[in-house]
Amino acid sequence: MTRLLATTAIATVLASSAFAVELTVGAANVTGYVDPGRDHSNVGSQFYYNTFDTLVEKNYDKLQGEYRAGLATEWTLVEPTVMELKLRQGVKFHNGEAMTADDVVFSLNRMYQATFPPYQVRSRDRLANFEKAEKVDEHTVRIHAKREEPLWETLLNLQQVMIIPEDYTKGLTGDPKVAENDDYEAFSLKPVGTGPYAITQFVPGETLVWERFADFWGEKAPLDKVTVTHMSETAARITALKTGEADLVTNIAPDQLSLIEADPALKAAGSATALFHVMIMNANHPVLKDPRIRQAMSLAVDRDTLNEALWLGKAIVPSTHTMEDFGPLYMPELKTFEYNPEKARQLLQEAGYKGEEIVYTSFPTYYTNGLLAAQAIVEMWKEVGINGKVNVVDKWNGGDADMMARNWSNPMYFADPFGSFGVMWAPKGPSESEGRFNTDEAYAASWERFRFSKDVEARKAAYAELMERISQDPPMLPLYRPFESWAMNKNVTWAPKPGHIPYVLDFRAGSITFASN
Amino acid sequence: MLRHIARTLVKMIVTLFVIVTLVFFTTRLSGDPIDYVVGQGITQEDRELLTRYYGLDASVWVQYLRFLGSFVDGQFGLSFVERRPVADIVAERIWPSLQLLLAGISLTIVTAVPLGILAAIHRNSWIGSAVMSIAFVGYAIPNFVLAVFMVLVFAFTLNWLPVVGNGTPWHFIMPTIALSGALIAALTRFTRNAMLDVLSQDYMRTARAKGLPESVVILKHGFSNASITILSVLGLQIAGLAAAGNVVVEAIFAWPGIGDLLVNAAILRDFPVLQFAVLVVAFAVIIVNGAIDIAYAFADPRIRLGRA
Amino acid sequence: MANAVFGIPATLPGFPAGVRRLWRDANGVQRTALLVAVLLLIVAAFAPYIAPHEPTAQSLIARLRPPIGFDRYKDGYLLGTDELGRDVLSRSLYGLQLTLILAALGATIGLLLGGALGLFAGIAGGIVDDFIMGAVDAQIAIPFTLIALLMLAIFGSSIEVMVLVLGLHGWEQYARIVRGEVRRLMAMPFIEAARAAGASGGRIAFRHILPNTVSPLVVQFTLSISNIVLVESTLSFLGMGVQPPTATLGSMVGIGRDYMPTAPWIVVAPALMILLVTFAVQILGDWLRDRADVRLRGR
Repeated sequence: MTRLLATTAIATVLASSAFAVELTVGAANVTGYVDPGRDHSNVGSQFYYNTFDTLVEKNYDKLQGEYRAGLATEWTLVEPTVMELKLRQGVKFHNGEAMTADDVVFSLNRMYQATFPPYQVRSRDRLANFEKAEKVDEHTVRIHAKREEPLWETLLNLQQVMIIPEDYTKGLTGDPKVAENDDYEAFSLKPVGTGPYAITQFVPGETLVWERFADFWGEKAPLDKVTVTHMSETAARITALKTGEADLVTNIAPDQLSLIEADPALKAAGSATALFHVMIMNANHPVLKDPRIRQAMSLAVDRDTLNEALWLGKAIVPSTHTMEDFGPLYMPELKTFEYNPEKARQLLQEAGYKGEEIVYTSFPTYYTNGLLAAQAIVEMWKEVGINGKVNVVDKWNGGDADMMARNWSNPMYFADPFGSFGVMWAPKGPSESEGRFNTDEAYAASWERFRFSKDVEARKAAYAELMERISQDPPMLPLYRPFESWAMNKNVTWAPKPGHIPYVLDFRAGSITFASN
Repeated sequence: MLRHIARTLVKMIVTLFVIVTLVFFTTRLSGDPIDYVVGQGITQEDRELLTRYYGLDASVWVQYLRFLGSFVDGQFGLSFVERRPVADIVAERIWPSLQLLLAGISLTIVTAVPLGILAAIHRNSWIGSAVMSIAFVGYAIPNFVLAVFMVLVFAFTLNWLPVVGNGTPWHFIMPTIALSGALIAALTRFTRNAMLDVLSQDYMRTARAKGLPESVVILKHGFSNASITILSVLGLQIAGLAAAGNVVVEAIFAWPGIGDLLVNAAILRDFPVLQFAVLVVAFAVIIVNGAIDIAYAFADPRIRLGRA
Repeated sequence: MANAVFGIPATLPGFPAGVRRLWRDANGVQRTALLVAVLLLIVAAFAPYIAPHEPTAQSLIARLRPPIGFDRYKDGYLLGTDELGRDVLSRSLYGLQLTLILAALGATIGLLLGGALGLFAGIAGGIVDDFIMGAVDAQIAIPFTLIALLMLAIFGSSIEVMVLVLGLHGWEQYARIVRGEVRRLMAMPFIEAARAAGASGGRIAFRHILPNTVSPLVVQFTLSISNIVLVESTLSFLGMGVQPPTATLGSMVGIGRDYMPTAPWIVVAPALMILLVTFAVQILGDWLRDRADVRLRGR
């Protein structure tokens, strides 16, 4: 142990003596806690990949899933529902402890057999098919699924099942032998993982500092130190970039891109994010009960014009709830959403719409261009005769019986329709549970085939059925994949990688170069 | 005298208690924190689970008792969002806010008092009018407009000044000006009026008649007599304006102070943080008011001698 | 000098003597303020007739166009268009109207509420007085922005709620003024005489005390209008005020600030209007106070 500390110290000295590379990031939001297990927010997802590892890694340079060894070096199905994984040896946590099979089993079961309420929530919506993990020997673990699982790699690559140290976590509060709720709470303020960067300073909501982890098992991190600072104002972020207070800033709206382009010392990188901004409609609201009215609300929205006007044409308007990232399940040929004001007018008439006020609720600032889109959509409704009104509230009202329509987002939590459409629109899932979406046995049957068929074609067919149902009795309209930009100093080379879930700040080897000074 | 102080103290404590109680119950009316803390799209089952976990299933009265109980351990409860003791969170924020406030007050005093005296002496010439016009404009500019324009000019266009946080002395320049702009304007006017009052008094004439130089007359006799009024006004203005002004200025300049914390806690319905932060701000304001009250008592012989 | 600059005769034929005297007594700055205030009131009152466009009419293809005289200027949009292609001039005019209405209503509610409580506290005295003045202290101790944030969070942000919130601003000032005045007057011989003559508390309040408080209240009312404009602007700036698509001056600045570097015209007109309103009202208020001061002095 002493020797280990000594070597680390020497390594640190060497690293810092030779031209330390330090990057400052201005982020619109800094997370209030660092716990990949409970979190699936857009704010949190920025911070996990640098800090933690999953058992199964992915080639993030590719849009579609190409899985490769992570903390597990190989994995095989030993039974239809049992996966056996060989663990990588010589992996160290940031606190110096070696990663063992116990740590892996602990990390997985904290989700699979969750007792901590925030974990239970995430476990139910995406990991419900997993029963438990168990240790076979020091370098082997087995994972038991309840039913045959078509998405093994995908679901082992999730942020929620990133590996954390068992003894460290249990020892944070109370009894060091037991994982109490408070241990997990404490962990989220003092996170420890196996990733190439260790979090060395964390002021929730304000600042997060990463430093290169010298004992990382893979290729060492390219930056010595990264400081992420909270800068909520757009103007402040851009200004900070210009004054040199930040080298890289997040969340630049399309309207601001011209400023970056106008400055020869700066540049921007962006992509259409793997999430949909959606408009949801309450299928159980008295005024909207008739599906034709909701169809009209959807047909009236000219999403291409929204894209041109608000996103400078850089967003992606989908024909159905699909994106390229889904790989074999990407189905651009499905066309379940369109702009057709004629038909909208006709449907309204057929449905006997009498000009009842339809309220579209929007968060004030949460979604880029969200409030602007809300106001534009209400104007578009007016064109077809819908008496719309914008209601701006900072609160989520998706579970209120009197919610009529509002904005929301459906992120891709993992690269499969299950990880995007599926999380929110599953039978008995959040949308139905909040009382604004109805499913029946036929929907549930299609869902079953979509979720668990081993055959890709069968899954596709089932997904097409679901999409058809959604278009017949629409609870939502995917508006577009927003175009998200990061701006940076010219000497930083960074861009969001296509294989990641939205907003990940990936500063691992090969993902960023920074010519400091 | 002691009775007066004791009475003031009791009043302060009662006021604080009332504020805390009011804030507690109004926050409870302002929505379900689960909607804000956990985000959107969870099933009813999960919602109930988390409601229990955060202790929000208990009745309001039980929560109120728990809240009062949290004063005992000195942690003031756990933040819903950050899951750490509220005392830690607020403690981080006090010093930056105080720094900004002190910088603002200093700037206010060193600019407003001389300007006010100048305006009083030259009340009938263009100098006086000019100073007062500037003061009126200064008072009329909302601090956020001032801040936004300063950011555009001095940071965005000229790249002279940093805009984020409180890292270096340079960081203080714009927030301090934005914060104290209206204060300077207000205090300039009060100083001028107080000086005018004093300048018309008999003892000023006496001092002049003694043949003292005008500057001595004004500074020694005039200003020292006006300063009591000026200071008391300053105290009240600081208490009122600074507490509110901080919210906007801190938000714009990402100043990690208590105003920024308050707004975010209100938006996120982080009740424990909100309650305690309000308490701290209210405490500060009440202390200042109480101190002024007691200082008055010392200055006013009727109270000092216990006749009022 | 001001007369020469503004070319305005020192005496205004055709106006009542009171107005003429007021005008004669005013200095240049005060006259300017008066003119600005009258002009703003007229513009606000006739906003629907002056505004060239509907304030909420969008044109998504003509977003962020600059004012007249710049490249890409769009015909008919003198001050340019905003982030949804709406006419900045029309929105500013309607915004001014709404802001002034909100301020006037808010100040009136504050005056009535604070005045009533102050009167009550002053006349009743004892525990009622302690209680009301305790509320005043509490109000002073909580930053008003926060009270407003909480209220808007509880009741949602609509124009009605906004009026109520703004009405709560400054009531404590009125309460203090009225109470102080009441306490002072209650000790005066003529009130004691009225009491001795058997006048009721209500009669004393309305016949003897209220008339004496009119002048300081008018001053406070004027000043609080500009304060309320500032508060409303601040709340709207923080995104808590009147919500889009309805425009107030503050919300235009608040939303427009993200466009400051690229489209500053969105912010300039409303910011300037806020400045003019508060500037004019402040000066008028101060002027009124100076005129009333002859009476107030020595108390």
